[in-house]
Amino acid sequence: MVVNSLVIQLLNGLASASALFLVASGLSIIFGVTRIVNFAHGSFYMLGAYVAFSITRALPVEAFDVLGELGPHVRFWGGIATAALVVGLVGIAIEIAVLRRIYHAPELFQLLATFGIVLIVQDATLAIWGPENLVGPRAPGLRGAVYILDQRFPQYELLLIAIGPAMLGLLWLLFHRTRWGTLVRAATLDREMVAALGVDQRKLFTGVFLLGAALAGLGGALQLPRETLNLQMDLSIIADVFVVTVVGGMGSVVGAYLAALLIAELQALMLLAPPFTIAGIEIAFAKLTLIPSFLVMAAVLIVRPYGLLGRPQAAARVAGAAEPVLRLATPELTRIGLAALAALALLPLAFGDYTVAVATEIAIFVLFTASLHFIMGPGGMASFGHAAYFGLGAYACGLAVKYWAAPMGVGLAFAPVLAGLGGLLFGWFTVRLSGVYLAMLTLAFAQIVWSIVFQSDALTGGDNGIRGVWPDEWARDKAVYYALAVALCIAGTLLLRRIIYAPFGYALRAGRDSPLRAEAIGIDVRRVQWIAFAVSALFAGIAGGLFAYLKGSVFPTYVSIPKSVDALVRVLLGGVQTVSGPIVGAIVFTGLEEQLARATEYWRAVLGVVIILLVLAFPEGLAGFAQRRWERWRGGGE
Amino acid sequence: MDEAALLDVAGLDTYYGRAHILAGVELAIRRGEVVVLLGRNGAGKSTTMKSVMGLVRPAAGRIEFDGADITGAPPHQVARRGLGYVPEDRRIFSDLSVMENLEVGRQRPREGAPSWSPEKLFEIFPNLAAMRARPGGRMSGGEQQMLTIARTLMGNPRLILLDEPSEGLAPVIVEQMAKAIIRLKSEGLTVLLSEQNLHFARLVSDRAYIIEKGRIRYQGTIAALMADEAVRAQYLSV
Repeated sequence: MVVNSLVIQLLNGLASASALFLVASGLSIIFGVTRIVNFAHGSFYMLGAYVAFSITRALPVEAFDVLGELGPHVRFWGGIATAALVVGLVGIAIEIAVLRRIYHAPELFQLLATFGIVLIVQDATLAIWGPENLVGPRAPGLRGAVYILDQRFPQYELLLIAIGPAMLGLLWLLFHRTRWGTLVRAATLDREMVAALGVDQRKLFTGVFLLGAALAGLGGALQLPRETLNLQMDLSIIADVFVVTVVGGMGSVVGAYLAALLIAELQALMLLAPPFTIAGIEIAFAKLTLIPSFLVMAAVLIVRPYGLLGRPQAAARVAGAAEPVLRLATPELTRIGLAALAALALLPLAFGDYTVAVATEIAIFVLFTASLHFIMGPGGMASFGHAAYFGLGAYACGLAVKYWAAPMGVGLAFAPVLAGLGGLLFGWFTVRLSGVYLAMLTLAFAQIVWSIVFQSDALTGGDNGIRGVWPDEWARDKAVYYALAVALCIAGTLLLRRIIYAPFGYALRAGRDSPLRAEAIGIDVRRVQWIAFAVSALFAGIAGGLFAYLKGSVFPTYVSIPKSVDALVRVLLGGVQTVSGPIVGAIVFTGLEEQLARATEYWRAVLGVVIILLVLAFPEGLAGFAQRRWERWRGGGE
Repeated sequence: MDEAALLDVAGLDTYYGRAHILAGVELAIRRGEVVVLLGRNGAGKSTTMKSVMGLVRPAAGRIEFDGADITGAPPHQVARRGLGYVPEDRRIFSDLSVMENLEVGRQRPREGAPSWSPEKLFEIFPNLAAMRARPGGRMSGGEQQMLTIARTLMGNPRLILLDEPSEGLAPVIVEQMAKAIIRLKSEGLTVLLSEQNLHFARLVSDRAYIIEKGRIRYQGTIAALMADEAVRAQYLSV
């Protein structure tokens, strides 16, 4: 019996691998040529499913009667194919409207812009199809099951198993037997040289986007008979897809298939593993499906930093684009800062509880943003999963209350410890990579934390979170808590600033600008980066702890991808290469989000548009923009 | 110039960030000529070619090709007008086979320019014929240099910019390269090549320009340059 269910699970894994492969290969192809990591690829997948749902319903049955027996088949599969095509066209529209303008922007801004698209597509889907889960039609002729080793196995899954390798073969033919494919492969290696040989890159990029988006759309449309459609499809697949592309090697289609197989099989087999108990808490592997895939990714990346079949990226940073020097604030700026602090202290006297609560939140996000900026700016490591450490801090407080009924002081002390330990653990892996791979690994680690808190109900309450995380009696008053939070956050932010200007900060920046030369003068670059990562996590943990007591509860959403991206938006909005940037970014973005959420149901879409416009308008961030203006106004700086 | 130039560069200024690389570069190449741009390392030879090709945006100046202004045009448009570019570092597509590398360079036949096919190119570069399916990354430096020229020729250019074709090649390969360039000239192709190797330049060129610190310091026939020891000593000796 065990063997039988093992075989069935392996087959299930093959079927899941196909869908994963379709989406991941699209992402990989797009990245290979345009060097853009398309966050919106999960959105294409979701759109594919929803569009297929509508098309297969809208096509009148009678119209296909002329085809006789074939009618229902043509109707269903025609709908699936049309959905893929529609999503491909949406991809083209997005490429022309947005991405084409930012091919020369820093890669983080590109990622951010594509996240703006994620937000817009989410709200568009909500507006068109509504919030309820939808159930699509089954595939005609494939509704039944076959018996394999006495176990029922759905026919449709068998088809999916075949589709993966079939598409891999078709893509291989496309890339090796057509001129277009040859051009795409050449552009993946050296797109400037391709242009110098007379190939219009813009057409090539648009074509690649059509293909990549259509593949994701097809992957989504094929889920129609398998899964209920919901609005979380986009972000839930994108994490897996990032893992698959990174494990397979960015830009490698064959690598994407191997990795999809590896991950999907592993996830399927996890379902068979018996639960076990650690320290009185039952841990069910079946529920922790995310963890093994991320462990695989971590393992592969340590052995092969560019994935199974990937190759080192050409240097992303163009020579001559040196990071600007960080300067200490001028006396004027210091005075402005002090005045702002004084105004902050007086705030509770002038405004009501709501404003004070929002201000507290802003203060917390200033610290959180400053902690991320610390490793992104001076450290040169873009973390895409900083919410992990924020969340660890918050859960430290939550768990302290839930299990020990501990007072706030204990929780707030435990928060940076847990987050810092998380930073030490994950940072050890992270500093071994760089660039896009580093960003995706941090995202993967954040998803591990998320899946642990989300899936271990017994420990963390799962989706229901931990409630009743309130401050001690003396700090219950909103104004008092505000004062406490502001004091801690300002102290933390100033401390981070201090470190940036300390010898450690110089070493960190030296390691960012030229690792080889920094090593040559005796700096252990990895060690410095590792410490910086842990320090950053520690401060993020403090912010998370303060946030837990502000809200009185802790939820898995604190660790989710959108939280991590919010933090990134704040840093990038402020400007990575300015020290005051994160402060400006946190204030502007948190305020904006707060206002939008109150003003419209579709605040995500508005936010997405704002993010995209900001990326288009201020590629160096708000504070960077202001700094340049300021220097020009002061007579050219220097 | 007694005859309208095929490529006419006037007052070309190019910067990398704040570094001033080219200062008022002037060049005029006539149809059918082989012209060499001589200069030491860092003199501005490669930057001149990249500026003409649109790979680097010049800050000032005017570039005319076949009577049309191509200043600031994107590289693919420049290439489609019949200007071929062979980079110094070869930039072979390492995962693509020899035939696929050639395919990427292919453009439609062009009026007033010699037409090329892989078979015809293999006559000039016989080494390549034996390795059609070999990936570019597994070829020797000399073979890659042949392939990069052949790849650009597949675009049937009127004029080809050859950036230091003899650099880093074994003497016997340099000799083959010289023969190849002379053959290209006989097919009616116009060539602008950059060189540090005066011996090689002399074998293939009709005229020479000398560039130093981003300025053109000398121009004349290759014979006149060979006779002028003072100029060579001043600008070319290491």
